[in-house]
Amino acid sequence: MLEVKNVSKSYRSNTVLTDVSFHLEQGECLGLIGESGSGKSTIAKLILALDRSDSGQIIVNNVDFSQLKGRELRKARRHVQVVFQDPSASLNPKLPVWKSVIEPLENYPEASPSFLKEVRNEKRKMAEILFEKAGLQSGLLDRYPHQLSGGQRQRVAIARGISLQPNLLIFDEPTSNLDVSIQAQILNLLKDLKSEINMSYLFISHDIATVQYISERIAVLKEGRLVDLFKTKDLFSADRHPYTKELIDAALE
Amino acid sequence: MSAVMTLTKEIATEKENEKDALFRTSPVLEIKNLSISLYEDKGGEEHRLVKKLNLSIRPGEMLGLAGESGSGKSLTASAILGLLPKSLSVSEGQILIRGQDLLNLSEKEMGHLRGKEIAYIFQNYQDSFTPFIKIGRQLVEALRSHDKISKPEAKKQALLWLERVKLPAEQIFSSYPHQLSGGQLQRASLAAALMFEPVLIIADEPTTALDVLTGEKVLDLLAGLQKELNCAVLLVSHDLKHVLKRTDSMAVMYGGQIVEKGATKSLRENPRHPYTKLLLKARPILRYTALEKFAAIPGEPGLIAKEGCTFALRCPLSFEQCYMVPAMQPAGRFQWTACQAVDREKVDTNA
Repeated sequence: MLEVKNVSKSYRSNTVLTDVSFHLEQGECLGLIGESGSGKSTIAKLILALDRSDSGQIIVNNVDFSQLKGRELRKARRHVQVVFQDPSASLNPKLPVWKSVIEPLENYPEASPSFLKEVRNEKRKMAEILFEKAGLQSGLLDRYPHQLSGGQRQRVAIARGISLQPNLLIFDEPTSNLDVSIQAQILNLLKDLKSEINMSYLFISHDIATVQYISERIAVLKEGRLVDLFKTKDLFSADRHPYTKELIDAALE
Repeated sequence: MSAVMTLTKEIATEKENEKDALFRTSPVLEIKNLSISLYEDKGGEEHRLVKKLNLSIRPGEMLGLAGESGSGKSLTASAILGLLPKSLSVSEGQILIRGQDLLNLSEKEMGHLRGKEIAYIFQNYQDSFTPFIKIGRQLVEALRSHDKISKPEAKKQALLWLERVKLPAEQIFSSYPHQLSGGQLQRASLAAALMFEPVLIIADEPTTALDVLTGEKVLDLLAGLQKELNCAVLLVSHDLKHVLKRTDSMAVMYGGQIVEKGATKSLRENPRHPYTKLLLKARPILRYTALEKFAAIPGEPGLIAKEGCTFALRCPLSFEQCYMVPAMQPAGRFQWTACQAVDREKVDTNA
């Protein structure tokens, strides 16, 4: 459903991505790991069409995102949503969180997620269902972002992320800011949601252990190049790239 | 074959003895019954953020202080350095460095101790150096502010220390902080911390802002230099991996209380407190076969019981008695647990 083909990107003289290619099947989770500066967040930006690649193609559901403009692009974007590391940056501090959660549904009246079909015109009801899906109590609907804990805020961001039932949900370090006990809760939630709603995930993280837990395949990015791509069950195989092995060694105890 | 086994056994006992020796030498740092409180107004309500904490570290020992946000681990570190925020104060207890109570020292005396006898490395290594002065000059000035030595002598020492943290010494000496990478800067601040050969190093989340591989190298370096200097290290980290991998002993904090402490190996192999157990299970670790599901801990780290065991509100084993006074009790040869339920442990926490 997603195809990234020979994508390169530079900012001025800085080459960030060099000839990156990978694909994502429907319903699959691909983990993308790399250290800071490896270009992993740039890939997210390009797939979200927040920026343009210098060369190469990004194809979502057979549509080349890199060619779209204006209304066409806006229409296509609904199929790709994102959850960032810091939810306080993606939620409007002046809105009660339930309004933030259904905002995408107001922006895309044509979207009709299967789990919201029966209540599509009742805003509050939609928010309630999304809250429930994200494991949030409905008592929190009217809170503002600053009145929630970090874990709750990230759940709100997730509820918003799934609201349009996108084909692809991108996570950029979604648990890096959270405490260990909350991390586990969120990762369990993401795993459940994926099979429940049938979305594909692109899961970006610097933590190989987290990626191992959530992904079916893993891509390793180093200095803008994809150096390794493999099935998670082959993580410990002897064929791994030396850099992947280095990351594994650092993660083992 | 039996000869080999005896030999292995001998080596094992030798190691045990070494460990015993480590636990017998007199501590560099001893924290006794420490409480840190926030007062709403003068004479107003008291909120205890750290509760009756007891801890000691011996020369050559690395102790890990682990816990989630709000556990009080960083506050404890700040209290040792005398750097608590103004709104907070030590409401009871003692912090002894080689027998001397830091809480009785004047600001000036503490200033002399801090940076020299007690060194520190922080998460935001960018703040360790002033941005518009070259690294070398800052090291030289620091050296000369604590010791009466000439400029050339100080320069020699600074260069030596930059080498000891495996940096290209001359080049770094004449660089500005912004010209260094994160890893280099953290190494340079390690040099700045260690050049006075302190008896105690406080490392508060030293690798959290670094990449995984860079962070590992910084910790390798810290461990190596600690051996050479035979100093004590307090490693504060939210990342259990570092604590388990690097430390000799550890303390797990929850809501301002130490819930379990002891030899790292012992806690890792046989955690007794439900919080330690759950924490060890809830974190993502690389496994040969990936887990299907994490054993998540219910609730949030902000959920803290006011009396008794701070973890009681989230604990699957808690019963009435947990809401009374927690008592640290031996739970192994080098292990203490503040859990009332530890002996009632027929209940399964594996769920």
